[in-house]
Amino acid sequence: MFGFHYRLESKSIGLVLAIVGVASIGGIVEIAPLFTIHQTVEAAPNMRVYTPLELAGRNIYIREGCYACHSQMIRTLRDEVERYGPYSLAVESKYDHPHLWGSKRTGPDLARLGEKYSDEWHVAHMINPRAVVPESVMPAYAWLARTELRTDDLGDHLNAERRVGVPYTDDMIANATADAYGQAAPDSPAADGVTKRYGKATTVRAFDGKPNELTEMDALVAYLQILGRLTDAAHKPVATAEKQP
Amino acid sequence: MIAQLTKSERQSALVILLALAVVGLAMAAGGRHDPFGVHGAIVLLAAILGIFGVISGYYAPEPSPDRLDSYYDSPTKFGIIVAMVWAVIGMAVGDWVAWLLAYPEWTFDAAWASFGRLRPVHTSGVIFGFGGNALIATSFYVMQRTTRARLPDQLTPWFVLFGYNLFCIIAATGYLMGVTQSREYAEPEWYADIWLVIVWVTYFILYMRVLARRQEPHIYVANWYYLAFILVVAMLHIVNNLAMPISWGSAKSYSLFSGVQDAMTQWWYGHNAVAFFLTSGFLGMMYYYMPKRAGRPIYSYRMSIISFWGITFFYMWAGSHHLHYTALPQWVQSLGMTFSVMLLVPSWVSAGNALMTLNGAWHKVRDDATLRFMMVAAVFYGLTTFEGSFMAIRPVNSLSHYTDWTIGHVHAGALGWVAMITFGAIYASVPWLWKRESMYSAKLVEVHFWLALAGTVIYVFAMWNSGIIQGLMWRTYNESGTLAYSFVDSLVAMHPYYIARAVGGAFFLLGAIIGFYNILMTIRSAPSVETQNAADFPVTGPAAAPALQPGE
Amino acid sequence: MTITHDLLVWLSKSFGLFYLIGLSLIVLVYTYWPANQKPFEHAAQAILDDDDKPYRG
Repeated sequence: MFGFHYRLESKSIGLVLAIVGVASIGGIVEIAPLFTIHQTVEAAPNMRVYTPLELAGRNIYIREGCYACHSQMIRTLRDEVERYGPYSLAVESKYDHPHLWGSKRTGPDLARLGEKYSDEWHVAHMINPRAVVPESVMPAYAWLARTELRTDDLGDHLNAERRVGVPYTDDMIANATADAYGQAAPDSPAADGVTKRYGKATTVRAFDGKPNELTEMDALVAYLQILGRLTDAAHKPVATAEKQP
Repeated sequence: MIAQLTKSERQSALVILLALAVVGLAMAAGGRHDPFGVHGAIVLLAAILGIFGVISGYYAPEPSPDRLDSYYDSPTKFGIIVAMVWAVIGMAVGDWVAWLLAYPEWTFDAAWASFGRLRPVHTSGVIFGFGGNALIATSFYVMQRTTRARLPDQLTPWFVLFGYNLFCIIAATGYLMGVTQSREYAEPEWYADIWLVIVWVTYFILYMRVLARRQEPHIYVANWYYLAFILVVAMLHIVNNLAMPISWGSAKSYSLFSGVQDAMTQWWYGHNAVAFFLTSGFLGMMYYYMPKRAGRPIYSYRMSIISFWGITFFYMWAGSHHLHYTALPQWVQSLGMTFSVMLLVPSWVSAGNALMTLNGAWHKVRDDATLRFMMVAAVFYGLTTFEGSFMAIRPVNSLSHYTDWTIGHVHAGALGWVAMITFGAIYASVPWLWKRESMYSAKLVEVHFWLALAGTVIYVFAMWNSGIIQGLMWRTYNESGTLAYSFVDSLVAMHPYYIARAVGGAFFLLGAIIGFYNILMTIRSAPSVETQNAADFPVTGPAAAPALQPGE
Repeated sequence: MTITHDLLVWLSKSFGLFYLIGLSLIVLVYTYWPANQKPFEHAAQAILDDDDKPYRG
């Protein structure tokens, strides 16, 4: 009797193994080579990482589900390039944990939104989208301007990002909270630390128009203004090795 | 319910719940400045309620050994009711956000009420809440009948169901607080994902234990599909959710992967969630309930096996069709496209097999709305898989991607196939489970059927129109060689279709509410005297008896 | 030997094809193996049997 049941058991386990085997190959074959893709992608040595404030803004973008209606991936099609800008390269999202390529454009693509509009425009748009675009169907995010940004755990955020491969330095992690304040308060002493750690080109502005307050609006606008500007690789004339015939 | 558990099972339940309470308490304390703490409190509350429940029934007499002569259906009954609750919640939220796209002012300046936070409540509510509970409930029913073996114990199925619904509640409440990984259809954060793995492994072991006790050497094909659903979803879930939490007291984590690898992993998951959650599992449902209801065996058993392996194999390659013309290497895109087109073969074999099964039973389809639900589901399955393969072709995708066409396609599958086959299976099993002659009202089943069909058709046509118009407007050039329409122009053109879509969704929701009412009234009606099927029992012959003493 | 991107891509493309053909053959042989026909037909009918005799190994 043991033999009989053993045979049944082995049959169902065989079925399980067959399913797992058959189902896993496709994924392995397609995904494994992508982890060596850096060998073929043009490097972007001057690419910088997100500042703590931009990262906090990115997390607000994620939290509010913005990715459900806005893509950040310009395809290699003529109309997209003419409407939104140079098509997106793989290297541009190499620090994006997770990626926010999106799958739907209820609103327009945002991959090259950075510095296309003024901070004031973004703040007004977030408070009431229909004040600046009457036909918009975007929800209003007025409360972002009223909500203080949480900064006490930004060091933990940067540290977790470093563990998954983003090159944040000890200095950046230790000063994450101060840098978040400094980036939105240009006249404060903390502002110098931001440009020292993240480069001279880093945008230091009172994004929400109020330099003495650090709100979620500051963070979100800082993020929107850096979109597509971490590297200028996509604007170079050579298209990269990725574009195969 | 507690009275159905043996003494030792009641003790095990208490131990599990106490452990859960400790975990909840630790989460609440460690994450008191974070949504993580709120979730800890929810876990703690759930565990305390469970402990009270078990204690209140703790001294009830033990279940009689006679129970082993019948199948254990209480978990299935519970699962079906919970599935209907989630259906109403998920569809109501879905219709609400559909109206938000037409009337964006209706968010009351509140964070939780905005489109971005409510949308995942809709998607998770219908896919995991409604679909998942229906799959688990029917799989318990089907696995027992097809193996002619009772569930091995009374505790495990309840652990799976309650644990799964705790996951769903954590997910939905998390979205309202803004806790999300942003991975479509895998939004819950790391701790919810870990909990789901525990629940899912238990579910898998339960399934294997039932299969090991079966009385037939051959495993009926419906179980293959359910098994693939359980196994592959586990695999996808674990790989796609690999992430680094920022601390033990925070809900936030960062994906292990970035950029192009992350996108590929996400859509490998996303597309195969469609394959193994929304297709394989529901095909398992179809391969049991449709022949049973029609009173005819599957047209071709061999075809069901061939299409099983076809689906299991081909789907895994197809995910990259979500990333055509992106920064994903082109050879991966081409592979994805090729396999997506090949996928049409096993898909249509399945749909054809289902419809051929009805040959000779078309008079039943005409008279019986329950069977008609299943028939229409098979038709929509065929239509949607054709559309899917078509949309995976690169030039077609260049038009359809990012537009409402995708939404239309998804809902043709979700409303037309998944929900219809589920309603059919539920209407079939409710009278069997509660030992009733029939549903409370056959007329209301009929009403539900027509509302569901009308709602689906309105929805899908609205989205086809808006999607194609959108796609065309975005790529139209005028004579001078510049883009003819601004993005806002295309948005304005969508408005009437967004209203039509919301109306179609309302039809479908209304149907589900009527269906839920009908089910509740069926349960409340008097049981019929002699509907108990004489043979609807597990086999408790000498061969099986020794194995039937779990936990004792 | 280092694992290069090109090598992996080549492996993916060639192995994938042979795997597809091989698997199709195995499935077809299994499905149409004459000895398997009886259990298949029995299984298809068995779910409909309301008073079927329990299987006794």
